[in-house]
Amino acid sequence: MTATHLQTTSASAVVEARRAHNLKLARKSDQSRATWFPLVLLAVLTALPLLQFTGNYNYLLHLVLFTASYAAMASGWNILGGFTGYVSLGHAVFFGIGGYVSGMILARYGVSSLITAPLAGLIAAIIGYGVGLITLKVRGPSFIISSIALLMIARILFDNWGFIGGANGLTLPTNSLSAEWSKLPYYYAMLVIAAVSVWASYRIKHSKFGLGLRAIAKDEIKAESAGINTRFYKVLAFALSAFFVGMAGAVWGEYLTYLRPNIFLLIGVSANLVLMSILGGKGTIAGPVIGAILIVALNEIFVALLGASEINILGTGVVMILVLMFFPLGIVGTLAKSGRLPRLLNWD
Amino acid sequence: MAEIIQILILGLALGGVIALMGSGLSLVFGVMHIVNLAHPALIVAGAYVTFLGFRYLGIDPILMMIPSAIVMAVVGVVIYKLIFEKEARSAKYSEMTVLLTFALAMSVEGLLGVLFTNTHRVTSPAYATDAFFIGNVFIPKGQLYAGVISLTLIAGVALFLKYSRLGYAIRATTQNREAAELLGVNVNRISIISFALGLALAGAAGSLVSFVFSFFPAKHWEWIPMLMSVVVLGGMGSILGTVVGALVLSVIAAFVGTWIGATWSTMTFFLALFVILLVRPQGLFGEKPEMS
Repeated sequence: MTATHLQTTSASAVVEARRAHNLKLARKSDQSRATWFPLVLLAVLTALPLLQFTGNYNYLLHLVLFTASYAAMASGWNILGGFTGYVSLGHAVFFGIGGYVSGMILARYGVSSLITAPLAGLIAAIIGYGVGLITLKVRGPSFIISSIALLMIARILFDNWGFIGGANGLTLPTNSLSAEWSKLPYYYAMLVIAAVSVWASYRIKHSKFGLGLRAIAKDEIKAESAGINTRFYKVLAFALSAFFVGMAGAVWGEYLTYLRPNIFLLIGVSANLVLMSILGGKGTIAGPVIGAILIVALNEIFVALLGASEINILGTGVVMILVLMFFPLGIVGTLAKSGRLPRLLNWD
Repeated sequence: MAEIIQILILGLALGGVIALMGSGLSLVFGVMHIVNLAHPALIVAGAYVTFLGFRYLGIDPILMMIPSAIVMAVVGVVIYKLIFEKEARSAKYSEMTVLLTFALAMSVEGLLGVLFTNTHRVTSPAYATDAFFIGNVFIPKGQLYAGVISLTLIAGVALFLKYSRLGYAIRATTQNREAAELLGVNVNRISIISFALGLALAGAAGSLVSFVFSFFPAKHWEWIPMLMSVVVLGGMGSILGTVVGALVLSVIAAFVGTWIGATWSTMTFFLALFVILLVRPQGLFGEKPEMS
């Protein structure tokens, strides 16, 4: 009787000690982390539209919005591609699903995508869950190819489905704001989505779930034998990553004011997500955001200097080859490995 | 009945071309375990080489197979030297090479876009629009020639692999890289040769494709899952399997295309890929789950 009692107390003491130790570690990493930096960045971006009072900065707002949408999607992609190690080239599908779900609701019932974006994300996540059940059975090259096939199937379906406008797409009503303020709702919505995606991927990475995902990326068989329900974890990661991509797609559709399969269901969109995450640092929190900023800037430079989208495709491909060959850990990953990651970029 | 024979013949002819398109992919995977996503993009490049020869020099697209194959083989050696030789030592080799070839496919597409614009092209030799008639059944000459030439070429490659000394070495490397190396095969040289041979097949396929399909730089994206389904169905690395897979799937696609609708015929290939995933959860390439 007393023996068991003793045992339980000592066991709880061990748990207690471990928890204290973990807290100490967490506090230590908290001190080295510059949590204020993303917050300040967010505050600056929130105040940015004030510039509109001093002149026309629509293009600047557009660029920030565009970058934010990619930061959100790349962060979402990173949950599957970075944490779990399953590289998907089909995530443009969820971008399209998000855009079309919200766009159809807007076109039929006049409810803005700013309200329906979470619903669009949810539907993208449900479809992602279903697809994941099939395609996540395989890994490595097989998974990558199945994700390309998914995109091609979605493209044919969207191109031929009359209800959603087929290949000609769908025109959405524009909002009634004046030209200088019309971008603002989408600007803030995209900023919120990006912030939520980054925050969520941080929370996921530091949860038990995220630990499981990272174990899967390292060695799936060992993870399985350690008692992780790898199948459920993977599929859930797929669904979560689809959720954020879908939300970004929803707002993007209304912002563009038209939906067309050849805007949303592009392999180039998927390629950008992969490239951004890998360039910034796969599996890190700041990586996809940094990658999004750099790639959007690079695209702007390509288009401004050379002016053709073909050059843009060529440039994206060449940059991707160079990054993969010489820089596979990405910016954050490489700096962190050599211990030179500036505190500003340590969001993990 | 005549309709069924008609569809069957069209499917088989197209299947022959698709088999040639997939055979290089299969060969490269067998020897090097590279899933070359840039293969279809390089087929498009071969089609453009043929297009140039046809339009500006008036050379028949079928004859253009030779220069096109040579150009692509040279491109293959350059690509291998620049990219894959270094990656051969990488730990995450197979995943890395897929991403690299994906990026390569984008680069090729972009380059073709810059050089040739995004206009749909097709070479138009006289036989491309002509047909044989046997009773009620008509056989378009272009597709028939392309299919027969493709299958002949594949048979030639298969004989080469089976009976030549170099072919022995390539097959040995496919079966067991380490053992082949132990027996004195220069595995690196064999890799370069088979990569070049694979891309030469892509170039030759490009010439035939140039008058069978219309093409533009982004055309290759739909060929990636199409060829993958064919190659995977037949067993990755086996050229005979690729032929069988191509013929079976394109006959099915031909029936789907006629009876259900033309847009759904390409869907056959993509859905086949998913069905294979469902039936063979161990992976498309018959490997056991990778352990890293």
